[in-house]
Amino acid sequence: MALLELQGVTRSVRLPDSSVLDILRGVDLEVDVGDHVSVVGRSGSGKTTLLNLLGLLDAPSSGTIHFDGRLVSRLRSGQRDRARGADIGFIFQQFNLLPGRTALENVQTPLLYATGRQFWQRRRLAAEMLDRVGLSGRMQSMPEKLSGGEQQRVAIARALVRGPRLILADEPTGALDIETGTTVMALLDDVAEASGAALITITHDTNVAALARRHYRLDTGVLTPLDITRALAAALDVPR
Amino acid sequence: MRRLAASVVGAMVEAAAELRIHRTRVLLSLIGVAVAVAALTTVVGLGTVAQQSSLESYERSGGRAATIGAYFYSQSGEPMDAASLASSVDTVVDKYRISHHTSNGYANQRVQLPEGVADIPFQLVDVDYAVIHRLTVLHGDWFTDRDAGRFAPAIIINEGFWNRIGSPDPRTHPTVELTGADAATAVVIGVVESFPGDTTSSGMMLTDAFAAIVDPAVLAQQPPSYEFWVPEETSDQLTTLLSRDLEAMAGEGVQVDVNRQDFGASGEDPFAPIRMVVTGVAVLILFLGALSLVNISLVTVRQRIREIGIRRSFGATAPRIFFAVMMESVVGTVVAGVIGVGVAIAIVQSPIVQGYIAPGVIDIPPFPVDAALIGLAASVAVGALAGLLPALVAVRVRVIDAIRY
Ligand SMILES: Nc1ncnc2c1ncn2[C@@H]1O[C@H](COP(=O)(O)OP(=O)(O)O)[C@@H](O)[C@H]1O
Ligand SMILES: [Mg+2]
Repeated sequence: MALLELQGVTRSVRLPDSSVLDILRGVDLEVDVGDHVSVVGRSGSGKTTLLNLLGLLDAPSSGTIHFDGRLVSRLRSGQRDRARGADIGFIFQQFNLLPGRTALENVQTPLLYATGRQFWQRRRLAAEMLDRVGLSGRMQSMPEKLSGGEQQRVAIARALVRGPRLILADEPTGALDIETGTTVMALLDDVAEASGAALITITHDTNVAALARRHYRLDTGVLTPLDITRALAAALDVPR
Repeated sequence: MRRLAASVVGAMVEAAAELRIHRTRVLLSLIGVAVAVAALTTVVGLGTVAQQSSLESYERSGGRAATIGAYFYSQSGEPMDAASLASSVDTVVDKYRISHHTSNGYANQRVQLPEGVADIPFQLVDVDYAVIHRLTVLHGDWFTDRDAGRFAPAIIINEGFWNRIGSPDPRTHPTVELTGADAATAVVIGVVESFPGDTTSSGMMLTDAFAAIVDPAVLAQQPPSYEFWVPEETSDQLTTLLSRDLEAMAGEGVQVDVNRQDFGASGEDPFAPIRMVVTGVAVLILFLGALSLVNISLVTVRQRIREIGIRRSFGATAPRIFFAVMMESVVGTVVAGVIGVGVAIAIVQSPIVQGYIAPGVIDIPPFPVDAALIGLAASVAVGALAGLLPALVAVRVRVIDAIRY
């Protein structure tokens, strides 16, 4: 049974001039535990909209999403929130660290919504996770004092601290320079692999997408499999 | 259960962190709440003290709750037998085990003062009068049972009288000459406070001591009334019983009126107007405090919409967000409330304020617990109220809009 399964998922929004914008059109996707999937698409192609659906933050206009064998539309909002907290970790392009909280406090945040050992030992778990991403020396630093790469590493630690089964990364390198982006991606790939979680990376960068094992392309709301070798070659041909 | 413990502790942790981060802004708004709570608690506290002071003057004239008065009238105009009335009073006191009672009569007495002879009104009472009316002496002592049999009658005089004879210390046994038919040398054993604004002279004497120096016919003309201090619960019943028994013993031609005479008897609360004013002012102050807090909390929450979205994406449920935002408000106002109550206690208990609001209050009351509790309850209520609106805003945050960049 797939961890996540999308069938004929569409998402449309009604614009202020009362016309309807179809952002996603009939998306089918299956993701298993341990998978590493990438979705490449240009800006405005609907990547973030897709990710919100995958992360149970949004509901499709039509089609079905099953998470862990359960039909998501049948879950009550509290169940959805708890499932998201327990099983899904987010990494955002803009890091989205909580301002005014230390790196350690930021990593503890998801554990505040956990129960039992995860809740009561949140400090220790968060410290261990920061150590894993190589930031044991910056635990008491505020996000504003960290470099972009360090901030994203804190975000990675935060996404992984509850041991989710699905990690969703929305343009994780989008705000980083190429070199830092590569290091951060390698780290993300590494810790995701070690934890056995599925990783879905959404990006406009073919090189980042190439790190995944399965590749998709999103174009004007249509999701199709992508031949990564050809895409890489094409990317080389096109001068940036 | 497990989830509940973690949720509650978790929300507290979040609220505490939130307060720490926004401490300047929070501090400013909480100063407002502390001031409001201090004002409320002070007003309620002062109200209680003021009430205590008016209660004292009520008690001084009408007796404490419950005081039953008995008055005797001669229907025929014939003199009444004061001694037999007194003994019928003793009978009912024994029968109903009444702990305190006193006679209460008046007589004008000619007194030799430095500037000449003056007619001075004397109140004729028993030893228990001071207990029933919560009366204490300013200087010297109150009557004791032994004073009834003194050769030179003991008198207690008011400040006006005392000033006219040169304010002697009662410990030096100063005397005054009573002149007229019942001439005697009286010893001043104590001084009582004059009612505020009263400059006249008056005195008090034990009824028995007066009886010893006066012509019995004078007493029979106008026998004293009596007061009985009884438990409030049984006062209605006792009024009926005393009326029946005294009427029966008084015999033909004498009418007996028995009724409750302390301030509680009228059935209406004499302090209602004070309470209403106090409550009105307090509620207004608190309302203003709450309003400014709501305003600040709303601003704060708007600035945190993105943060709330991030928390939601990491598994915070809507009720959890609601509770955490609410907690921030309540935790803050309770701290402010405790400080406010502390300030109020300091104000109300300060001697300057006490002297101003309750001059001459004999029992300076400890800070009223009611007022402190009202202050704390109000701070919780204000916190909950001020937290409600931002908490509602917080749960309505659409996560995907909040984290979209
Ligand atoms: N709630 C919305 N209302 C109107 N337009 C939207 C809304 N959400 C997304 N869009 C539009 O849909 C398109 C896809 O958005 P998005 O999923 O954020 O793309 P991407 O992440 O690939 O850049 C964009 O043109 C965006 O403006
Ligand atoms: Mg996007």
